[in-house]
Amino acid sequence: MVAPRLRTVGRAPHRRRPDEDISSWAEEPEGRDVSTVRAQARSFHSPANAGDQSFLDRPPATDVGTVGGCAMSAVTVEAPGATTTAEPLLAVTGFTKRFGEVLANADVSFDVRPGEVHALIGKNGAGKSTLLKLVYGIYRPDSGEMRVAGEKVAVGSPMQARALGIGMVFQDLRLVPAFTVTENYALALARNGITLRHGELRRRIAEASASYGLAVDPTALVRHLSIGERQRTEILKVLMTGARIVILDEPTSVLAPSEVDALFAMVTGLRAQGFGVVIVTHKLAEVRAIADRVTVLRGGRVVLGGVDPKPMTDAELVEAMVGQTVAPLPAQRPTVTSEAPPALELVGVSALGDRGVTALHDVTFAVAPGEIVGVAGVAGSGQRELCEVAVGARPPSAGTVRVSGRDLGRGGPTAGIAAGAVDVPEDPVNDAVVPALTVLEHMALANLRAFLRRIGLDWRRAGSHTAEINDRVRLRMAPAHRKVADLSGGNIQRVMLSRALGREANLVVAAYPSRGLDIATTRRTQELLLARRAEGAGLLVVSEDLDELMAVADRIAVFCAGRLTGVVPAATTNRQELGALMTGAPSPAGAPSADPATPAVAPAAGPTPDRSDGA
Amino acid sequence: MSDATIPAQAEGGAVIPKPRAAHGTQDAADAAGGGTVATATLVPEVPVAAGTPGASVDPGVPPTESRLTGFGRGLARWVAALAGAIAIFTVLLLVKGANPASVYADVWTSTFTNQPSIEQIFVKAAPLLLGALAVVVPARAGLVNVGGEGQIVMGAVAAGGIGISLGDRLGGGLVMILMIVASMAAGAAWAGLAAVLRLTVGINEAVSTLLMNYIALDLLLYLIYSPWKDPHGTGQPTTAELADTAKLPYLGTTAVHVGFVFALIATAVVWVLLRYTTWGFRLRVIGGNPEAARRAGLPVALLLLSAMAVGGALAGLGGMVHYAGVEYKLRTGITTNFGYIAFLASWLARHNPVSVVVAALALAAITVAGDSLQIDSGLPAASVNILMGLVLIAVLGWTTRRKSEGKAR
Repeated sequence: MVAPRLRTVGRAPHRRRPDEDISSWAEEPEGRDVSTVRAQARSFHSPANAGDQSFLDRPPATDVGTVGGCAMSAVTVEAPGATTTAEPLLAVTGFTKRFGEVLANADVSFDVRPGEVHALIGKNGAGKSTLLKLVYGIYRPDSGEMRVAGEKVAVGSPMQARALGIGMVFQDLRLVPAFTVTENYALALARNGITLRHGELRRRIAEASASYGLAVDPTALVRHLSIGERQRTEILKVLMTGARIVILDEPTSVLAPSEVDALFAMVTGLRAQGFGVVIVTHKLAEVRAIADRVTVLRGGRVVLGGVDPKPMTDAELVEAMVGQTVAPLPAQRPTVTSEAPPALELVGVSALGDRGVTALHDVTFAVAPGEIVGVAGVAGSGQRELCEVAVGARPPSAGTVRVSGRDLGRGGPTAGIAAGAVDVPEDPVNDAVVPALTVLEHMALANLRAFLRRIGLDWRRAGSHTAEINDRVRLRMAPAHRKVADLSGGNIQRVMLSRALGREANLVVAAYPSRGLDIATTRRTQELLLARRAEGAGLLVVSEDLDELMAVADRIAVFCAGRLTGVVPAATTNRQELGALMTGAPSPAGAPSADPATPAVAPAAGPTPDRSDGA
Repeated sequence: MSDATIPAQAEGGAVIPKPRAAHGTQDAADAAGGGTVATATLVPEVPVAAGTPGASVDPGVPPTESRLTGFGRGLARWVAALAGAIAIFTVLLLVKGANPASVYADVWTSTFTNQPSIEQIFVKAAPLLLGALAVVVPARAGLVNVGGEGQIVMGAVAAGGIGISLGDRLGGGLVMILMIVASMAAGAAWAGLAAVLRLTVGINEAVSTLLMNYIALDLLLYLIYSPWKDPHGTGQPTTAELADTAKLPYLGTTAVHVGFVFALIATAVVWVLLRYTTWGFRLRVIGGNPEAARRAGLPVALLLLSAMAVGGALAGLGGMVHYAGVEYKLRTGITTNFGYIAFLASWLARHNPVSVVVAALALAAITVAGDSLQIDSGLPAASVNILMGLVLIAVLGWTTRRKSEGKAR
């Protein structure tokens, strides 16, 4: 399936096999996350959906929804051309899109049939998002055509796409933070008339929320919701706009396992009703779990087009995506001995959330030097507050926070930095990124003191320092002169990771370090975390991916509704135990290390041998 | 999108390798540097020194290199907007029954073809430029300083206080220096107060600076009506005239005082401060994302305060040069809205410390032209305000459109 045409193109020695055809820093011209969010939020105002709502009530026109999706042979109804199988709801042929020097999509063909889930996978910059944005009318293709239910269409705007029944749930959030959920829905579901009729809308949201199994509080302010909750809100919103083809751009990247299950149950339900679902993901297990077919993109080209993923192994899929095989993480890792004080020590820490309600209750635990403590919990269980408290970015309302033995007190982020804490924030776009600044300036910002030269900054030295970090960290950061506003979420994440993991630190707090990253980069990130551990830093790693936590962490601290419900050794725990702790069930008896009180003292005595013993 | 375009895609394919070549260097450096993955098959014929340090980063690139080209583009846009504003103004002239051609001809000859008028432009540009810089600096940190007017008044008051009390007792040069210091301190304090209000009580600085303008003007009125009123004067509410030795000297044989030079020096200093110093960089970080600045450990409150104070000091200096270079007496209408026009100038220049010079001169020219409009064409004084308003809307409208285009890209 590797596009053979490339070979015939005369472009001699510089060219490499298409397999490696990946620009080295994963240029993603499609992702102008920072700058587009607000502009896009406005464009949701779609009066075109006035009639669409009823679609949800009536059975789909082509009632083909045999669960399982692939058996479509019965339907030839209104499609004279389609003889062999159901007329695809959406069919794209030969889409090509170029951004300046970058060919984001090259001759991409792709289709979605009614009642199927079609997964779209590929590395960062493989062209997934570009393809989706072409379909959704955000970009126009340079060439190629698109058919919706057999009819050739030219989609010039998202509004037109929605009118055609194409709904998109974006990877980055397209909600207005200052509005309530209902108000955000009002933007998307606006009907004719002067009043917004909040009451009615609230009721509809509640109904939809119940019927899709996605808990959404219509009265909550969006800015108070966690990313996971916002995503859930988005998904429900798109469903309510009456889409027939639902495109989910990395919907699971920040969802908790139970939420992922709920999402998949919902996707299965949509499939049964004859919707076409496109799902973009980085997680191969999900592809096999939910998708009927998979299309793999690499370097803007289709590598595998619409094949059944079930018989494929992870290795095969990864190789298709990356063009290489990815080595597994080393299972064995050395115990790090250190006389240093705990990298992070929380004693009876409580903290208020953004809503002014206590979001972290009386948390006591410690991270030893040379130890990785994973943090698990359903989205919004206090992870955000925990990370911020640990680096001084949020003052605790009670208790003591010590980083490397130094009490942060009321010193704020400055005290945290002075004590040697670095972080990868949960929400870089809001909390750490200055859109107008370049990558280089962001790298310098983390450590301004190091680059002072008389009254100014030594940009040359900052540049060579950045280059040095880039060479060492090898996360393929965007070129230093690029403005961060022009980078996609994945590339911003690379900058954040390079910045946090590329320098000396006593404590690394990494919230969702692999968010938006492809498999190879995720693996590289994990290696970096382990390298930091080996150098004696303490690491606090928050992730929604329990497998990742179990693979990387020494111990896992589980939170439920802002309370620490247990700290368990990663090597001996399992998903059931973690899941029980995440929902607040008492931890299984007889697990002494799950007692939250003991680790507070234990790490002070030395490193935790949990993993090396257990593994 | 049509069928016709599809064959073209084959040719499209032929051009594909271009970006790859551009990134080839990096790829090679990356992979050879020990890429994460073992089985990567490197194509050997890539003729690049693999592993060159810094291949992916250019350390020499200044972080703000696009500014110069932006300046040229900005100027062109500016001229176009100005033309648009003048076109609308022409319509207004026609409605008013005036002959636009002759009005513009009159304005042109009386403004740009005789030396006194041209000198007037530079005289008016000095406080305008300083007042505009007072908007530029806080804007870099995301603050809106509408208080240029009040800060100019406070600067003039402070300079006047020195001038009245010490003007004829000390040497002229010393008085000038004292006036400069006092005016800058007064302007800084006045603006700093707004910053303190924002940082402690949370009052938006745009509101507080605007309101403080009126307080400053009333303070001036109080002073010139009673304690500082010229005892030997004609009864007009003014102070006594500044001693001749303390008046700002003229440049050569012209009627332009050295205040304009002060303004140019201040511009250069501000440019260097914002562009090359750590302070300027930190202000930019705050202006871009205060939360990111806070988390990077920057002293955000101090930086905001300093940005406002520096801005206020510049406006205060503007008050001083106008007082000691033109007016010599504190009087009721001493500032003639310089603070607001300067605010306009800064927005026109999009808070760029270099373009602000052009903007200040242009607005000074419009102000001078407005005077001749009034005198020669018998149009009301407000006409020129209309013109300035039109210019602002035209230029800002233009800028905004450009922004959204950038986003849609």
